[in-house]
Amino acid sequence: MIHIKKLQPLPAKRREEMPNSKLGLTFKEWKANKPNKHKWRNKRWAVLLFMNFLFWASFFFDLSVLEGSLSGSRFFGIYLMDPFNALQEMFVGSRTGYFAMLTTNFFIGFFVILMFYFLMGGRTFCSWLCPYHFLAENAEKLHNYFVKKKKIKEHTYDIRIKYIFWIGFLLLAFFTKTLVFETINPVGIVSRSIIYGPSLLLLWILALLLFEIVYSKRFWCRYVCPIGVTYSALKKVSPVGVKFDLSKCGHCRDCQDVCLVPHELWFVKRGEATKEIHTTGADCTNCGLCVDVCYGDALKLTIKGFDKIT
Amino acid sequence: MGTSKTNINRRQFLKNGTLAVAALGAVGVGANYLKHITKVKNENLLRPPGAVNEDEFIYACIKCGLCVQICPIEAIELADISDGLSYGTPFIDPRKQACDFSCDAMQCVETCPTAALDFIPFKKSGEKAIEEYDKTHNPSDPDYNIFIPQSKAMKAHTDMGTAVINLKTCLAAQGKGFTGSPREDSFTGVYRSPNPKRQERKATPVNEHAFKRDLCDLCVTECPIGDSAIVMDTEDGKNMPRILDGCTGCGVCVMICPSIPDTIVIEKSKTV
Repeated sequence: MIHIKKLQPLPAKRREEMPNSKLGLTFKEWKANKPNKHKWRNKRWAVLLFMNFLFWASFFFDLSVLEGSLSGSRFFGIYLMDPFNALQEMFVGSRTGYFAMLTTNFFIGFFVILMFYFLMGGRTFCSWLCPYHFLAENAEKLHNYFVKKKKIKEHTYDIRIKYIFWIGFLLLAFFTKTLVFETINPVGIVSRSIIYGPSLLLLWILALLLFEIVYSKRFWCRYVCPIGVTYSALKKVSPVGVKFDLSKCGHCRDCQDVCLVPHELWFVKRGEATKEIHTTGADCTNCGLCVDVCYGDALKLTIKGFDKIT
Repeated sequence: MGTSKTNINRRQFLKNGTLAVAALGAVGVGANYLKHITKVKNENLLRPPGAVNEDEFIYACIKCGLCVQICPIEAIELADISDGLSYGTPFIDPRKQACDFSCDAMQCVETCPTAALDFIPFKKSGEKAIEEYDKTHNPSDPDYNIFIPQSKAMKAHTDMGTAVINLKTCLAAQGKGFTGSPREDSFTGVYRSPNPKRQERKATPVNEHAFKRDLCDLCVTECPIGDSAIVMDTEDGKNMPRILDGCTGCGVCVMICPSIPDTIVIEKSKTV
């Protein structure tokens, strides 16, 4: 694996440096200070539901607003392509020579999507648009409830296997000369079922959700989904992310509890942070759940460089 | 390096990685099995105009459904997983709703972003027709309209398949006539009549058209392509509709045929 030179962590904060001590409050009083609002979550769910409604309405009422489905669409005449779908297509096309047939609109759609999600923070797609995410996010709550009640055990895997799946699905497409992934892709299946009416494959979605509820939390999104991996590559270079300010952090780690990808918030643990300011990494979906829960406003959704202006 | 923590991590990665590769292998085997089913089922799936050959179509189509959305008469549907790997790909059921070229401009072909429905040949044949038209027509003429020859050429270029008529059940072959609306009352399919008297700009329900024929010839008179596609043979006192090379496989004859059971079917084009 790739070895990155690790920075030495900063010394753990002393008691008087904690944000609650500075205000002269106990830790409990400080936490009670901020009621848990769902500001970002409500915004996010509104956007997610509205966009999927727009897909449906564009077909149902024959509006030329957002035609197509999440695997490929047209927004007021501008083509948009699912990036992994496009990659598969180009991969197979390079083998069979079909590549030369692909239209200009295909490449426009591919690059518009790449540019858009580069600006919007890569995996932002997942939590702000993906209809499967919406189902899985609620399934995750159910899962957490069962774990808390000790009805079931948590099963985790190595998150790096998603890269194996990413390469694997591309290779499968290459060798079978079919878009194999698209047949089992929950994003496409749910999106198409919303727009064009239910498909038999919804049973597969149901099975997947059940598996995620009773066995392994967010199995598909965390360990498999190659669309997410494609977007996370964009997140790596994207200016959008959740900014962490060590000086405001009380190390309660409530944010890690609500986070959909807790490993991205590794720096909130006391004595782990290596810098005063951290930004979340590739897997962060910019969902804002941690921002909502943070008592000291140590976490904020930001665009790099913008906070210096305002 | 070499601490017990990284060793555990590496071991877990290898273990899970093996699992992932095994899962991918299973998906691959499953896909190949589905491919087998798909090959058989695909024989029945009539693809929209301009579809590239089936081997390419199965990966060229990204299942976005833009062709479904743009079709003004909703002729295109998406296949389900029961059709194997064709899941999400577009097809036309002509008995339910045929492609009657109502859009005049091959919209489904033009909208396809991956050229699974390939527009370039249509574009070329349209341009060629305009060139021919310009030779004999003057742009200052008030009747000058390049759209008509262009549209006609693009329609004629379509090759979804060929209609095949079962003469045993054909009303004309039995010498029977036909009166009334061609399909059962619950039928909702629409088409645009090629009859110049009706001058339809938009497709209307099939059952709104009432016919009175001494000898049933709906498939011949309602064909959107016309004489180059289907004619009525009346030799030796026997009547039988005959399909010609110009047939595009649009399926309007399949939809409008009043006989039960289905007399006309579209045989998918193999050469495209």
